[in-house]
Amino acid sequence: MSKDYIIEQLKKQIENFETKTQTEKVGTVLEVGDGVAKVSGLSDVMASEMLEFPNGIYGVALNLEEGQIGAMILGAFEGIKEGDQVKSTGKILSIPVGENMIGRVINPLGQAIDGKGEIVSDKFYPIEKIAPGVITRQSVNQPVQTGIKAIDAMIPVGRGQRELIIGDRQTGKTAIAIDAIINQKGQDMICIYVAIGQKESKIARIVAELEKKGAMEYTTIVLAGASDPAAFSFVAPYSGCALGEYFMDKGKDVLVIYDDLSKHAWAYRQISLILKRPPGREAYPGDVFYLHSRLLERSAKLNKDFGGGSITALPIIETQAGDVSAYIPTNVISITDGQIYLESDLFYKGIRPALNVGLSVSRVGSAAQTKAMKKVAGKLRLDLAQFRELEAFAQFGSDLDENTRRQIERGRRTVEILKQDQYAPMLMENQVAILYALTNGFLDDVAVEKIRTWEADFQKYINSSAKEVLTLIAEKKELTEDVVAKLEKVIKDFKEVYQNGV
Amino acid sequence: MKITATQYAKSLYEVTREKSQSEIGVVTENFVKVLAKNRQAKLAVKIIKKFEELYNKENGIAEVEAISSRKLEADQIGQIEKFIKEKYSAREVLINNKIDENIKGGIILKIGDEIMDASVERQLRELKKSLVKL
Repeated sequence: MSKDYIIEQLKKQIENFETKTQTEKVGTVLEVGDGVAKVSGLSDVMASEMLEFPNGIYGVALNLEEGQIGAMILGAFEGIKEGDQVKSTGKILSIPVGENMIGRVINPLGQAIDGKGEIVSDKFYPIEKIAPGVITRQSVNQPVQTGIKAIDAMIPVGRGQRELIIGDRQTGKTAIAIDAIINQKGQDMICIYVAIGQKESKIARIVAELEKKGAMEYTTIVLAGASDPAAFSFVAPYSGCALGEYFMDKGKDVLVIYDDLSKHAWAYRQISLILKRPPGREAYPGDVFYLHSRLLERSAKLNKDFGGGSITALPIIETQAGDVSAYIPTNVISITDGQIYLESDLFYKGIRPALNVGLSVSRVGSAAQTKAMKKVAGKLRLDLAQFRELEAFAQFGSDLDENTRRQIERGRRTVEILKQDQYAPMLMENQVAILYALTNGFLDDVAVEKIRTWEADFQKYINSSAKEVLTLIAEKKELTEDVVAKLEKVIKDFKEVYQNGV
Repeated sequence: MKITATQYAKSLYEVTREKSQSEIGVVTENFVKVLAKNRQAKLAVKIIKKFEELYNKENGIAEVEAISSRKLEADQIGQIEKFIKEKYSAREVLINNKIDENIKGGIILKIGDEIMDASVERQLRELKKSLVKL
């Protein structure tokens, strides 16, 4: 390439360059502090309109007062000084959306932060949007397979449902969410993981794990890191939801995970206090309930006339010392359609996922389960409930009648079977097979401490030697008599081989 | 309820409207007394500013700050005046010419919180932005 050619090109570029002068509304920064700016002027700015600060930093108008507005700054606010010019943009805060967001890590403004190049998109979705109304919705009837036996069997999550994951720190809340993402492979789901105020190291680990499992092919991560301004943490879930809405409007099923909404509430509390909004209970502003309810209400299952897409939300709440009656947990519990309750006591006992089955519920219930799963799960719940009632007696051991003893033994095996390793989600048909074996007494003669190895070998066996039974369950999604007969034969065959082999 | 500067300015405008000069003297004196009685004399500066804005708006006066790199010629000022009169349907235009060599050429007009930036400096900045993007 010659020098002249380059110069010629440059000349052409400059010749074609045109600028338009237009009237702009401007204001002046009166004061800046802690990520919030007071701006005078800007007489006809809208609520939650985007503002442009110098150096291309954006802000959002939050408080409109007489003569001045309060705006949160989305970006580094160190460079902004008193007297700077602020332009209004006439646009409500929106983020670029598109298929090319999939597989990327973005910040809440839709900019790539994974170093894989800029994401170009011409479609924009507003961050705040009124949730779909009654006529557009349909009741939840299709399951989201999380791949976790305890959840899929007893606390089923449906497409379009909002299921809260709640528990203390270090109880495996994120692990459940990540497992659910990994299990969506081939299930025609788009996953969005919104990290709010999370450690960047944790996110790096999650991204690496998802990449290893091939789950990044259908996942977007929206990251507001712990070192980003509170405004980012505040906006992040809405951005993630806006991106989800784009896919939902295209008729796709979306799974959005908000990790976690307690940090979101903290960020909002910080911004509100700096904006001098009056504090209420636990110093949260008056509208924290609306903060979460308007976000979670945007998850929906649309009916056929509106494309039939869905957004399933898995919000996460971190409790302090198991206190579920604090302000934010109670709020979110009342908004969601059920909760998955994790307990540190169970976690340390080695029951992982540390699910408290008694306190966890799904209000959508069995409407979101396949018939096959429904059949085995009903018995499972009963077994566990009876076991929990009798567990206290089990401490004394001996003087128990045959029936009670059997129930306790069954309960112990059930607990063992519901244990599951991280990053090892299980397909629905495999779950049905093992749960069928459990609830129909095929495991009663296996020692409790050997249950897990037995299960692992059983899964290996059924995956290799009895694949056709699995495909039968997967296709029919029902346990008809001939399927049951085949399944029982496989289980019996395996037991014979296993007992003779070992 | 606290009375704001805007409210003071509005009432001052209303009591002084269509009054003779001597009357205005009396009215203004009373206004200042009320202000002192309410212990809000510190609002005076704001009230004056708001009053000016209100007066200009009611009387169709547009105050324009024109920033240019060299002093504007009389016919240029005339052109600006005509432009502003049309755009804002103002009856009277007050032009305050400021010289700023940093804008290199062209002109920037400021009316209230609106700004029209037709400076060479901005165009260069835009050019730079579009070249960097390519």
